[in-house]
Order: sequence, then structure tokens, then C-alpha cells
Amino acid sequence: MPQLKIPTPLRPYAGGHAVVDVKGQRIAEVLQDLTQQHPGLKQHLFSENGDLRPFVNLFVNDEDIRYLSGVDTPIEESDQLRIIPSIAGGLTTPAPSGIEEVSLRKVDHGALKTNQMVIITLSILAFILNQPLLALLVGLMMAMGTIFGVPGFGFLYRRLLRPLNLVQADILDDNPEPHRFAQGFGALVTLGGGFALLLGAAALGWGLVWLVVALAALNLFAGFCVGCAVYYWLVRLQVPGFVKPPPPDTLPGMRPGR
Amino acid sequence: MTLQIERSMLQTILAHLEEAYPEEGAGFLLGRSVNGVRRVTAVFSAANAREDAARNNRFLITPQDTIRAEDEADRLGLEVLGVFHSHPDCPNVPSEFDREWALPWFSYTITRVDGGKAVSTRSWRLKSDRQGYDEEHLEIVPGPAD
Repeated sequence: MPQLKIPTPLRPYAGGHAVVDVKGQRIAEVLQDLTQQHPGLKQHLFSENGDLRPFVNLFVNDEDIRYLSGVDTPIEESDQLRIIPSIAGGLTTPAPSGIEEVSLRKVDHGALKTNQMVIITLSILAFILNQPLLALLVGLMMAMGTIFGVPGFGFLYRRLLRPLNLVQADILDDNPEPHRFAQGFGALVTLGGGFALLLGAAALGWGLVWLVVALAALNLFAGFCVGCAVYYWLVRLQVPGFVKPPPPDTLPGMRPGR
Repeated sequence: MTLQIERSMLQTILAHLEEAYPEEGAGFLLGRSVNGVRRVTAVFSAANAREDAARNNRFLITPQDTIRAEDEADRLGLEVLGVFHSHPDCPNVPSEFDREWALPWFSYTITRVDGGKAVSTRSWRLKSDRQGYDEEHLEIVPGPAD
């Protein structure tokens, strides 16, 4: 009966055996017999769709079955079979505990810039026309955007400005979470300003509204997102819920490069 | 979970990894596991089989080297307990790529090598659901040569 040698990391799933006697005329039958004898091995040898996992190598008398006939390779009684795992690893994206992997997503900065432009324009209009309700509306739109995880005025970008080609898409590898946090912060300050205005505290109210205008302008024209920088500081302080590290080679808060 | 490494074996590992710098170095940890305590009493350094361009951030051990390491372990009456490798100029925590390729049960030690000097070593084991790692207590113990 052919013998199959199991590598140490898989022995706990093979009843602790280093060598298993197996039945079969071909490798495929041997593997079937092996996983019938030790069902726990199956998940480590085969992927969900039933293929051999890429790091599983099968050797017949020190020959890789890939260079023989694969799983159809015939087996003799006296053959020595081995499972040899591929050992690989290395550095891509170190993941310090508590901080997530660098798993950047595509973020359309065209939509973010449009949002900032509309926030700035409407807030200044509210000031010029002395309309606290318009400031409140801006704060409310930002709050809604934060709740749904989109730029508050993103619909103008998607439905109007982008289809008419008035604004260019600017898709960068970035984290969406810090931008959401920044918009949420802006929403709170703008709403605070609007309520202060309704309560008659004009200097405080317009001061808060202008603060958001200044921060949005800094982001729009200089590419620096203060709210995002605050987000990354909170990541560094390991505050729960703040897990995304800044994109590589980017000052925390700065718009990432291409 | 504890991984004991004999001092002279750790020195062999670190010397190999410093020599490999700025590329990643790797090899096997050989020893015995008794009552849940693993003790590394021999190492088997492997050549990094990756093509040149990727060697500073990847390592690959050929199946032939793995066979040699297993045979060496059998000859010494030991088991292959795990794999050591280095992260040049980067934190010694497992990367996503490490996780995709990790085997269950193995101890994976990662040594941070800064500017050619090994600065610290930590050991990890893949969780049984493959979704992350548990850090393993690393203990440096005197060997017969000490």
C-alpha cells in the first residue's frame, strides 16, 4: 500500500500521523481516500470549489505531480508520496494590532471637491443674505451625507455636473472613512452655527459657519483635509472605531498622489 | 503558547537574516513540541527563491528546500515547527500576504532588520479560522553550547 507523508502543520488534522497508508491507483483516488480517513484535512488541501489549494504540492518519489500527470498520475504500491507545502510570505502591508491593513479604495475626489464648492457657496450666500435657515440646510445636507456615507451634495455631482462634463472625475486610492468623519465634523459645526444664529448669537453663529467655509476651502484649494488629519491622529491614539492608516507616502490629511 | 529558541539557534537565525538584508531571508525552525511548549534546537536556512526584483519584500522557499528541511528534521529526530523570516526596515508583524500563505499550526517568527541590524523578533500562529494571528510567547533559552 502506498504511503503518504504528511508535513508537520497538517499532522494535527491527520490524527497526529506523520505517515498515512493510502489506497488508490491514481493521485486523485489517493487524495479521496486520505480525506475520507481524515476529513479535517480537506479544508486545508482543497479550496471551496474543490481544487487543490495553490500552496499544496504533491510529490511522488520526489517528483512534483505538476510535472507528471497531475492528479491523474498513476501510483505504484511502492511509491513514496509526500505533501509539500509551498512556503512563502513577506512584506506588503504590515498590520500592527488594532490598526487595519492598508486597504485603500477608489475615492472620487471630484465628488468631494464638488461638495466642498457647494458648501462654501451656499454658506457664503447664507451670510450675505443673512439667512440662518440656509446655513442650517447646508448643515443638514452634510449630516445626511455623513449618515449615508456619501458627500451631502454629491447628488449634484452625479446627476448634473458630471453628466454635463462640468466637473472632472478625480479617482484616487484613498480611505473614504476620514472624509466621512470630516463631513460629520463640518455638519456639527455648521448646524451649531445655524442654531446659534436662530438663538440670536450672530457673531458665534456666523463664526462657526465661516470656520467650515475656511476648512472646506483649505481642502478644495490646498488639498488638505483637517477633519481627515484629526481622524488619522485618533488612529494613532488607538481610539476605538478609528482604524484606517493614512495612504502610504502621504501626509495625514493631504490629498493622496496618483 | 510558547516558543523557546536556544540562544545559539537565534544567533544563527539573526546572522542569516542580517546577511540577507536588504532582501528578506527565511528558513525553517526545527525542534520538538512537548506539552504545548515548542523548543527550537536546530535551524535550516533556505535560499530565497523569489526573482531578484521582489526579494526585498517577498520570500519563497522551493518545495525542494522544504523536502530537505523535513528530511533534515527526520534525520535529527526533530519536527519542523515553523518558519522564520525577516521584514527589512518594517514592523515585525504578519502582513496580509503572510496570512494568505500561512499554514495552520506552524510558528512564524518575524525579525525586524533595520539597516542590516536585527532589532527584534516576534512569533505568531495563524488562527484556526485563518482570519488572523495570535502572538506566541517567545523565550530565549540556553542550549547545550551555552
